[in-house]
Amino acid sequence: MIVFRYTKKDGGEFLSHLDLLRHIDRTMKRAGIEVKRSEAVNKHPKIYLSAPLGVGISSEAEYCSVDTDFEGDFKEAFNAHAPRGIRCVSYRHTEGKVNVAYEITANAFLVEGIAPFDPEEILREETLVLTDKRGRTKDVRPSILELERRGESTYMKLKTGEATLRPDVLGEYLAGRYGGEVSSVLKIQSYGLEKYGL
Amino acid sequence: MNALLRKCLMESEKPSRYVGGEVNAPVFREGVFSFCMCFPEVYEVGMSNLGTKIVAKSMEDAGFGVDWCFAPWPDFGEKLKENGIPLASLHAKKPLSSFDMVAFSLGFELSYTNVLYMLDLAHIPLLRREREGKGYPVIACGGPCCVNPAPLCDFVDLFFIGDGEEVDAEVGRLYEESPDRETFLQKAAEIRGVFVPKYPKERVRSALVEDLDKAIYPESFMVPNCEAVHDRAVIEVMRGCYRGCRFCQAGFLYRPVRARSVETLTKQAKSIIESTGYDELSMNSLSTGDYPHLRELIRSLKRELPDVDLALPSLRVDSFDAEFAQDSRKSSLTFAPEAGTQRLRDVINKDVTLEEILHAASSAFDLGYSSVKLYFMFGLPTETDEDLLGIADIATKISELYYTKKRKKSLRISISASTFIPKPFTPFQWERQASEEEVKHKLSVLKSSLRMRGVTLSWNDFFTSRLEACLARGDERMGEVIAEAYRQGARFDSWMEHFQPSAWQRAFAACGVDPERYTREWSEEERLPWEFVDIGVSREFFLREKHRAYENRSTGGCLQGCKGCGLQEVCPKGKEL
Repeated sequence: MIVFRYTKKDGGEFLSHLDLLRHIDRTMKRAGIEVKRSEAVNKHPKIYLSAPLGVGISSEAEYCSVDTDFEGDFKEAFNAHAPRGIRCVSYRHTEGKVNVAYEITANAFLVEGIAPFDPEEILREETLVLTDKRGRTKDVRPSILELERRGESTYMKLKTGEATLRPDVLGEYLAGRYGGEVSSVLKIQSYGLEKYGL
Repeated sequence: MNALLRKCLMESEKPSRYVGGEVNAPVFREGVFSFCMCFPEVYEVGMSNLGTKIVAKSMEDAGFGVDWCFAPWPDFGEKLKENGIPLASLHAKKPLSSFDMVAFSLGFELSYTNVLYMLDLAHIPLLRREREGKGYPVIACGGPCCVNPAPLCDFVDLFFIGDGEEVDAEVGRLYEESPDRETFLQKAAEIRGVFVPKYPKERVRSALVEDLDKAIYPESFMVPNCEAVHDRAVIEVMRGCYRGCRFCQAGFLYRPVRARSVETLTKQAKSIIESTGYDELSMNSLSTGDYPHLRELIRSLKRELPDVDLALPSLRVDSFDAEFAQDSRKSSLTFAPEAGTQRLRDVINKDVTLEEILHAASSAFDLGYSSVKLYFMFGLPTETDEDLLGIADIATKISELYYTKKRKKSLRISISASTFIPKPFTPFQWERQASEEEVKHKLSVLKSSLRMRGVTLSWNDFFTSRLEACLARGDERMGEVIAEAYRQGARFDSWMEHFQPSAWQRAFAACGVDPERYTREWSEEERLPWEFVDIGVSREFFLREKHRAYENRSTGGCLQGCKGCGLQEVCPKGKEL
């Protein structure tokens, strides 16, 4: 298998997860990277993506694993055929099946546009109940692992899994509380995949 | 990307429609004739269109700056308008108003208001006279609807009529060579296949590509960001149809039939599949089953592209072959008998018999098909209730045939009935369209006779068909109605969720135009609004065919001997004979 890190930005952040999967499959085909297929009637390519990123959120740290025996320069072949904004940054060959979606424990983001505030104020709180678009309330405080101001940007490290909190949702809450308007969200790192050195 | 545009995108459905960056997208060249290929429909529909790909390719090959634009879905369109952001091209994000030529492809009359919608979003005045001398782009239209340019003459500077492959680039070169706009328009008006409303001609001949095999064809397709309606590779096997069904406009517009060679098609298919990563290839034409080398082509494609699924749309009943069906995973079989009785099928020159339908259905059922789709028209010339009852008769016979053997699944028959629309450049161009009362009656006959187990009936909206007839057969006055309807909010007229009959009704009333003006019967002595366009098929032929229809006589198609439609001189089949 090959596991690789790639970007999703420069317009690519607007691709839906399903479309992205289709694009990666087609990129492989154009690049001549033969991906193994399932034995089912509809032969699914064995391509495994990290958890869906909200549409509009850019990323420098998306991950994917593909079942292939490709021996050439994967990065070069992939990048020559990928849509704009989808670019392989690094890759590794691995033994055994890798499904990055299950290994990632947390993600880090930079959110732009929120007025200056003291992150300690949020971190001190024991609960932080947000209401989503469908009117459901949820305590998202356990998902917030780190929250910092880095210059004009707001850095947040959020836990994945059952308590996954969307960075734009938290960003909008903060902008509502402290002022400003979220203008962009960029994912900069995932945690849990360190062993691959990507 | 600026923050405002980003915000508009975030608040719109499927923003990837608007960001560009598609694989195989053209790189815009600066400093040369710039051409924006527009399709007045939403991205997923526009991206599926083949004609525009050919036009864009011919412009790119000529060295011009080419970009694309599709109609923003109303949510995004509203946001652009609210924020005063002018509509820009897909990749280079150049405002449409900065191009030398903005060209729309018109394949469907119900997209006319979307041309105005896109011009409006681009901050380009809608009316030709309002743009005069102000440095706006040349607004052009092409595609099959342009055989009747009359209703759009107020808005459009230049029409491409007929095959565009060679004419498009010629017009671009003329633009570059011309000292000013007026010289360009005057000279362009002299080119065969071009109509310039400001410099009208007595007779405008449509352009014709005689050798399709050598004609320009894209080597790669742009791969859409979000799934298109037809998200697959396409080869154009043939242009035109041998059949001559009397209601079918395409069947006459694309005459004479021209085919590509197996070698060329295989080469084109390979190139598109390799550059796109598609796993499905569609073999397009109006009647692919009539392609003379179909078996050879399928063999060649399977040999060269073993992992690619082949799709054969528009297979006719009599060309349906179990061998082709076996490969596809489709569970539904589609037939288009169009009329319920043999008499009426003779009237429309649809040479399909009930026996052929049953024969094809029988082999399909044995292969495991358990679902049949049947397309019919109603409101056809000379039609009686008996013809409509014939539809139920066909459904009954198919059903009986299915249940002669023990089958795993129960049979589903879906019948789709659409109102006949008399179109220009057909033998039925003089016919009237059925009135609302008649349509009501005909539908009630269909509904009551088709109350059968496993049968579903669907039909199209009456007013939509009426409007399509008015737009297809319209004259200059219809242009006023289009402009008014747009002002009243009409756009995306082919989408039921956006179609506003009331906007059109108000527009007809405000302009003092009765739709009956266009849906009535025309006498054979009258000059029809589109008759200054010459598609090569003669008026005499159309009249002869019309008269034969009223005698319940079919004519057959070109494969049963030349019928002398007027194109014998340029017809490859005619030359063979």
